[in-house]
Amino acid sequence: MTDSLLSRRALLRYGAYGAGAAALAGTAASWDRLTGADIPGRDDGSLVVATLGSAFAPAGVRALVDGFRRLHPDIKVRINAVQAVDWSDFFAKILTQIAAGTAPDLVYVATEGVQLFARHLGVPLDRWVRRDAAELKEYFADVHPSLVESMMYEGSLYQLPIEFNAADMYLNTRVLRRAGADFPAADWTRDDFTALLRRMKKASDSHFTPYFWTNRLWGGVVPWLFANGTNLLAESKAPGGSWLWDSFYPADRRRGRGGGFRWTTPQATDDRVVEAYDYLASLVHDGLCTRPEGGNGQNLIGVFSTGRVGVTPAGGFWAGGLHLAGMRADGFDVQYFPRRHTQRHQFGAAGYALLRTSKKQDEAWEFIKYSARRETLGELFTTNQTTPARRSMLTTARYRETGPAHWRVFYDTLDRFPDTGPIPAPPQVAEVTQVLLKHTGTALASPGAVGPALRRMQGDLEKAMERDV
Amino acid sequence: MTDTGTRIPAVRTRAASPGAAAVRPSARERGTRLLAALFLAPTVVGIVVFTVVPIVGSVVLSLFHWNVIDAPGFAGTANYREIFSDSTVLVSFRNTLVFMVFAVAAQLLIALGLALTLNGRMPAWLRSVFRSAFFFPLVLSAASISVVMKYLFNQDFGVVNWLIGLFGLAPVPWLTSEHGAMATVVIVYVWQQFGFSFLLFVGGLNNIPKEIHEAAALDGATGLRKHLAVTLPLLSPTLLVASVVGIINALQVFEQPYVLTDGGPGDSTRTVVMVIYEKAFEQLRFGEASAVGVLLFVLIMAVTALQFRLSRRFVHYQ
Repeated sequence: MTDSLLSRRALLRYGAYGAGAAALAGTAASWDRLTGADIPGRDDGSLVVATLGSAFAPAGVRALVDGFRRLHPDIKVRINAVQAVDWSDFFAKILTQIAAGTAPDLVYVATEGVQLFARHLGVPLDRWVRRDAAELKEYFADVHPSLVESMMYEGSLYQLPIEFNAADMYLNTRVLRRAGADFPAADWTRDDFTALLRRMKKASDSHFTPYFWTNRLWGGVVPWLFANGTNLLAESKAPGGSWLWDSFYPADRRRGRGGGFRWTTPQATDDRVVEAYDYLASLVHDGLCTRPEGGNGQNLIGVFSTGRVGVTPAGGFWAGGLHLAGMRADGFDVQYFPRRHTQRHQFGAAGYALLRTSKKQDEAWEFIKYSARRETLGELFTTNQTTPARRSMLTTARYRETGPAHWRVFYDTLDRFPDTGPIPAPPQVAEVTQVLLKHTGTALASPGAVGPALRRMQGDLEKAMERDV
Repeated sequence: MTDTGTRIPAVRTRAASPGAAAVRPSARERGTRLLAALFLAPTVVGIVVFTVVPIVGSVVLSLFHWNVIDAPGFAGTANYREIFSDSTVLVSFRNTLVFMVFAVAAQLLIALGLALTLNGRMPAWLRSVFRSAFFFPLVLSAASISVVMKYLFNQDFGVVNWLIGLFGLAPVPWLTSEHGAMATVVIVYVWQQFGFSFLLFVGGLNNIPKEIHEAAALDGATGLRKHLAVTLPLLSPTLLVASVVGIINALQVFEQPYVLTDGGPGDSTRTVVMVIYEKAFEQLRFGEASAVGVLLFVLIMAVTALQFRLSRRFVHYQ
């Protein structure tokens, strides 16, 4: 009916509109996708390095850039400090940049993202490492092979680790004195640990909680699983990697090394996993530890430094944090994580990953090498905000001002317990972490919840691991 | 203005009558139309670019598998089938609806109660102080507030449990038990958001002619009776606006549960928008995230439509 109302002129006009719209749509469809990089001035030809904003102090970042410029005046470098609350948040923001077409050339990636980046985005560093082997001998001699192995994926190396943190146990020395307890021995057991918590509790008021922990992948329930000789996902080693081990490590240090870790079958209902959760539930029940909260433990420094918490798991990063919070060097100390079936520790490491999309891969490799130099790390890690991956940097002088007295524990964790390994972080790490945190929260939220929560965790982990990310 | 007013009937006539189709607009009329189009263009372009395109984009993306890194692949309705079998998604919709009911009810009741109180006898300066104080949380960042509240509601070291302890009561697991966590998220959300409804109600109350209240008083209506019979019916249009905005905002809650509880313990405070964020930016499943977004959009539209339908019965315009 409407057609009969159209005049020939109107028909021609609407036809012209339609043709115009079709032409526009066709042009848009055939045009290359516009991205953030197309914004004039956005791509200034710099090598773009994305770092976790809070990882380095501004002065450290300036020193990093200036030092690289002196060494390579022909390579322009720009640091893109991404503000994020944790690694998961950081990766989310990097992926947003990639989606926007403004992918950096290098990304600072921790253990949590090593395999995810390696599988989808990363470039193996093997050919450059082989080429510059002579130059890198000194680096590998200074870095523990466990840290290097944690940066390998299916036989290839994707990052040079420059920092790490193992989950050791921090103790408030004031609380220890108040409880009349001695500093624990290096080979202390889980029973010793429980007895110490009871003693601390007895000697303190109702506002005191002996043990504090945060529900997260690093330093949450996982160290207790490691001490129990188990893991959330069955762990094995990928074949390969001998090209690296044979070139850089003596026989006794490369024994048992492979081409990186594989985390495959979920085992949340394994007896030892259940036992570790039951143990933590009993601590909650007896008022010896906090119910775990999500997050990055930002309120922990305050309660630990004021003596409202006696013990907590943390890495070398906390030495600087407690010092900044005003704690004296002798106000706290650190010991290895207590033994149960084993005294295997967990750690997380970090280094720069080179993205496939980078058009400046050779320049990026130069930056990776530069960032792993001893003097570069010395400029970056001035406040003990982490544990340098280079053993030679852990000295009495470094910890004289901040403490702790037993600072050697940080690196000796790797030597004393050679099976110490990275937190389980397969390419499906985001979903695995979410499942872990979710069900750990439920398991410890009410009495008798451990069994059902772990059964649900097992089911969810199986689904997560089946998914091809 | 007059021009436009006189020509609108002419356009209607043309549309209604076949014979009028041949009437051509004058040059002046075309100029007026062009001017109107120019004035409207920025808004229309803004809506198209920032509202219509993203909505259409989300719907299209929900039919694809896409992880940002690799090229998208057509998935048909697979993403929708996946999310309907995903217990986390279903729980998040339940949580969001529960949250919406409690948060919006509390928000409206508190805002209305305070607006009525402030509408009573009170020095003008004190009224200004209260108005500013109630509105102030709304201008603060929800994330910052949530960080502070997380400290306050900490079971072991928080000020709230310390205060409770002064009365000899046991510490409450505000953030680490299922019911406690949802209650805390509602409390923090309402504390921040009620200022908006409060301002609407203050404006609405000021628009009610005093004569009506005086007439009601002459008829013997006082106190609660006066509010139920006179104030509330006259305030019902404002109530409708406040509830529509409140429900839409509540259905999109994100910052408070994300910072306070990260959706836990378990999934007890995981909301729909949190699931969208997690699926897209943590799990790289942008197609599924978009499908959840489309469902949320449909839910919001349905709830809002229902509200407007019900409003025909309950809302009174003077």
